[in-house]
Amino acid sequence: MERTRVSMRHVQHSPMLLLLPALVPVIAFSVLPLAEGIYLGFTDAKAGLSVDLAPTFFDNYIRLLSNDLFWQSFQIGIIWAVTTTFLQYALGLSLALLLEQRLHFLWLARTLALVPWATPPVIVAIMWKLVYQPDIGLLNQSLRGVGIPVGELNWLADFNTAFPAVIVVGAWAGMAQTTVALVAGLKGIPVELHEAAASDGATAWQRFTHITWPQLRPVTDAIVSLNFIWNFNSFGLVYVLTEGGPGGKTMVPALFAYNEGFKYGHFGYAAAMGNVMVIVVLILLYVYLRRGRRGVE
Amino acid sequence: MIYRRSPAATALQYTALFALMFFLAFPLLWMLSTSFKGPRELVALIPSLIPVNPTIDNYFTAFREQDLVRSATNSLQLSLGSALLTVLVALPAAYGLARHASVLRRFTMSWILVSQIFPLILIIIPLFLILKTLHLLDSLAGLLVVYLVWSLPFTLWMLQSYVKAIPIELEEAASIDGAGRARILRTIVLPLLAPGLVVAALFAFISAWNEFFFALVVLQSAELHTLPLTLARFIGSEGVVRLGPLAAASFIATLPSLVFFSFIQRHLRSGLLTGGVKG
Amino acid sequence: MNKRFRASIAMLVVAALAAACGATSPGTGASPAGSAAATVAAPITLQFASFAWQKATVDAHNKIVADWNAKNPNITVKIVTVDVNSVHDKLLTTFQGGTAADIVHDESADIGGFAGQGFLADLSSLIPGDLKADIPQGIWDTVTFNKKIAGVPTILQTYSVFVNKKMLADAKVELPTAASPWTWDKFAQVAKQLTTTDRYGVGWGLKSPAATVMSMSLNFNGNFFYNEGGKNVVKFGTAEQQVLKRIYDLAYTDKSLSPTTLGQSGPDILPGFFAGKYAMIVGGNYVAQQMVEQAPAGFDWAMLPLLKGDSQAQSANPQTLSIAAQSKNPKEAMQFIAFYMQSQNLASVAIGDWLIPVSTSAGKAVTTITGGKNSWDVNVASTPSLRLAPFQTLDAYPQWKSQIAQPAFQQYFANKIDLATVGTQLTEGWTKVGGK
Repeated sequence: MERTRVSMRHVQHSPMLLLLPALVPVIAFSVLPLAEGIYLGFTDAKAGLSVDLAPTFFDNYIRLLSNDLFWQSFQIGIIWAVTTTFLQYALGLSLALLLEQRLHFLWLARTLALVPWATPPVIVAIMWKLVYQPDIGLLNQSLRGVGIPVGELNWLADFNTAFPAVIVVGAWAGMAQTTVALVAGLKGIPVELHEAAASDGATAWQRFTHITWPQLRPVTDAIVSLNFIWNFNSFGLVYVLTEGGPGGKTMVPALFAYNEGFKYGHFGYAAAMGNVMVIVVLILLYVYLRRGRRGVE
Repeated sequence: MIYRRSPAATALQYTALFALMFFLAFPLLWMLSTSFKGPRELVALIPSLIPVNPTIDNYFTAFREQDLVRSATNSLQLSLGSALLTVLVALPAAYGLARHASVLRRFTMSWILVSQIFPLILIIIPLFLILKTLHLLDSLAGLLVVYLVWSLPFTLWMLQSYVKAIPIELEEAASIDGAGRARILRTIVLPLLAPGLVVAALFAFISAWNEFFFALVVLQSAELHTLPLTLARFIGSEGVVRLGPLAAASFIATLPSLVFFSFIQRHLRSGLLTGGVKG
Repeated sequence: MNKRFRASIAMLVVAALAAACGATSPGTGASPAGSAAATVAAPITLQFASFAWQKATVDAHNKIVADWNAKNPNITVKIVTVDVNSVHDKLLTTFQGGTAADIVHDESADIGGFAGQGFLADLSSLIPGDLKADIPQGIWDTVTFNKKIAGVPTILQTYSVFVNKKMLADAKVELPTAASPWTWDKFAQVAKQLTTTDRYGVGWGLKSPAATVMSMSLNFNGNFFYNEGGKNVVKFGTAEQQVLKRIYDLAYTDKSLSPTTLGQSGPDILPGFFAGKYAMIVGGNYVAQQMVEQAPAGFDWAMLPLLKGDSQAQSANPQTLSIAAQSKNPKEAMQFIAFYMQSQNLASVAIGDWLIPVSTSAGKAVTTITGGKNSWDVNVASTPSLRLAPFQTLDAYPQWKSQIAQPAFQQYFANKIDLATVGTQLTEGWTKVGGK
C-alpha cells in the first residue's frame, strides 16, 4: 500500500507535461478566438475596415429579446436537434447491435457504416436534394413504383414535409459517428455478464434491458450530448438543402446567426446569439444528464 | 457470443441489416451510376440506375479541369498529418485528464463544451487574424494546426473516457512489479486504448478530409486547395450543378476514407470494429 | 563558435523573412516599391479573386489573364479561384483580415455592403474615360454607392421566357419579336392555350422567389421602396402586387403554371421542360447555357424578348470587378480591369456565361461572334431595359430580402397566405431589420 502511494505520487506531477502539447495549440487557436467571440457578443462590433467597437454590455441581449424571428428559429433549432439526435441514436444503436451479432456480410456492413461519414458534406446535400426532387427524384419514383400516389410532392419545398425531410438527412449524415461510438461501447461490456445472464435463462430482450442498456449508459450520454450539440450548431446541410425555406420553416439558429454575422455584417449581434445558444444548450444538457444521474464524463 | 437464435430472429436480423446497409450505401451506388452518365442522360425524366450509354468522360473532365490529383494529394497530406498529430497530442493529454482530477481537467471539459456549442462561424475572423499574425495563412501547415485543434474536443473526450475504463489497479500492480512508467504505458495502457485510438485517428482523418470552411478562408493559392474546395467548383450559382463530373470526383473523394479505415482495421486486429477489448 | 552563432542567427532571420513573405498574401502588394508604383518598372503581382465557374468562362478568364501577363511582364496577375457560392464569405474574411485580393469579382447586389464597410476603393477617378462612356449611365448607377463607384460592371442577367418551339408551332402560337414583345396578359393567354391534360403551359422555378419578383416588378413600376422625407419606407400598392398576383393566378386560377415548379430551383425544372411537361419556362438567361449542354438532340428552343408590363424594365444586377481598398496598386489593378473590359475580352466572358455584356462595344462583338444565333440577338437587345431599382442601394435591403421578402413570397406562392398578409409582412419587416 505504501509503495503504491509512492508510485502514484510519481504519476501526480506529470499532468501539466502530458497536457502541454495539447494546451498550447488549443489556447492559441481555440480558446483565444472563442474568448474574443464571446466578448464580441457584448459589443457593437460590425464588419468594416478599421471600425472601432465599443462595449455595449447587455444591449444586444435586450434587442434579441424582441427579435421574434430569432426565437422562432430557436424553436426550430431545438426540434431539429432533438429529433435528429434521437434518430441518429436509434439507427446507430440498431446497426451497432447488429454488428455485434454473428451474421454474414458484417465486413461489408462495417465498411458501409462509414459511408455517410466519408462522403463530403457538400455531396451529401446535393445527393439528397436529388432524392427529394418532385419529378426525377428517387424517393417519388420508388413510392410511385410501389403504388403510393405521391403525385409530384416536392419534399423540400412543401411546408409540411420540408422540415422532416431535412431531419432525415441529418440523421443519415450523423449515423456513422454514432454507430462507431456505440460499437466501441458494446465492446467494453464484459462478456461474462452476458454469459452469466444467458446461463440464468435470460432472453435476448432481458439481456438487452438488464445488461446492455445500463452498461452502455456512459457512452450513450457522451454521444447523445455531443450529437445534440453538433446538430444544434450545424447549418451547412440545411443551408444547401433549403436555405432555411420554405417560409422560414427550416431556419435553424446557427444559420440565423451565420446570416446575421457574415451576410449582414453584424458581428456583435451575431456573437450575442452565439452566447445565448451556449447558455441554452448547456442548460438543456445539464437537465438531460442530471435526469440520467450520471455525469457527462 | 454464442447464443442460439430462432430462425425467425435470424431472418429479422438479416432484413434489418440489409435495409440499413442499403440506406447507408445508396449514395455510393448513386455516385457510381451518375458518374458514368452523359449530360443528356442526367436530365432524363425517368433515370435508370444502370447508365444506358455509359461514358467515362466525367472522370476525364474531373481530372483534367479541376486539378483533382493535386487537391487530393493536399487533402491526403492534411488528413494523414491530422490523424497522426491528433493521436500523438491527444493520447498523453487524455491520459493526464483521466488520471489526474485537477483544475486543468475542469478547464478542459468546459472548453470542450463551449468550443463545440459556440457557432464556429463566429470565431472564424478572430482565428483568421491569429493565423495571420503567426504567418500561417495560405499554408497547409496553418490548416493542419487548425484541424488538430478542431479534432481535439471529440478525441479528448472519447479517449479520456477509455482511459478511465482501464482499472488503475492494473497500472499499480505493474508498478509494484517494478515496471517503469514508459513500460506500463506501452505494455498495459496502450494496447487497451488501441480501439479508442482508432476512433480518434479515424475522426481526425475524416474531419480533415471533409472540412470546407477553414480551408476556404485559410487557403488562397490554387496549388494548396483541398478536395472539398475543388468539389465545390462543380457547383454553380442558383443550383446549377455539373452532376456528372461532380459525381465522378465525389466517388473518388469518398474512397480514401474507406480505404484508410480498411487499412487500420486490418492492421489493428484488436481494433474497435473487428476484435474488441477483453472486458 | 561566434561565427557559427552569427551565421545561424542570420539563417533564422532569412527563414523568418521567407516565411513572412510566403505567408503574407502577395495581394497586399509584395512589391518593394510599394505604392510608388507609378514610377518605372518595379515588378508587382496583382491577385484577382474570380468566381467564374462555367467552363467556357473559366477558360475566358484564364486567357485574358495569360494575354495580360504576356504583354505586361512587370504587372503579373494571378487568379485566386473562389467557388461561386462562397464568394461573400471568402471576401468578407479576407477583407476583414487584411489579406484580400487586389481585384475582386462579385456582383452589384453584394458589393453595396462591402462598399459601405469601407472595403472597396472608390474607382471614380481611376476609370478611363472611354470605358466610362462605353457603359450606359443606368448601369453605372447600380455600382455607385454614396456617390462612390465601388466596381466596374461586367455582365448582366435577365429573367426571360424560354419556349419549346415545336409546341408553340403545333398550337399555332407566333413568337414575339423585339419590336412587339409579349405583354404579361398575352403571356398568360398563351400559357392557358398551351395547357393540356398532360402538360402545363409554364414551368417556373421560384424556390427563392425574391430576386425574380423584385426585379420583374419593375415591369409595372413596382418599386417597393419609396423615400418619404429622407426616410425609406416599404409600400405594397397595386404596382407592387402585379407580378406576384399574376404569377399566383397562373398557378392557382388559370392552372396553367405547374405549382410544383414554384418550389424548385431554375435548373431543376429543365428535365421537365426537355420532356415536354411544360411548353414554356421562365428563368435567368444563363439557363440557356444549360440548354445547349443538356437538351436532347432535336430539342428546339428559343429565348423570348423580355415580358412587358408598363415597360420591360428589370433591375440590373451586374457582375462586377472591384479593387480592394487595401490594395497597394489600385492604378495597375484598374489597368487590368480596363484590359478585361476590352470588347473582345468581355464578349468572350459574356458568351461563356450566356449573360449580357454591359458595354455597347462588347455587345456588338457578341452579336458578331455568335451571329445572333441561339437567341443571342434577343439577349443583347435587352440591355436598354435594365436599370437601377430604388432598393438596390439601401443598406438593409439584403437582410430584408432574405429574412422578410423571401419567406413571405414563398408562403404566398405555396398558397399559405394572401396578398394582404404579404404586404403586412413586407412593410413591418422593414422596421424589424432596422431599415432606414
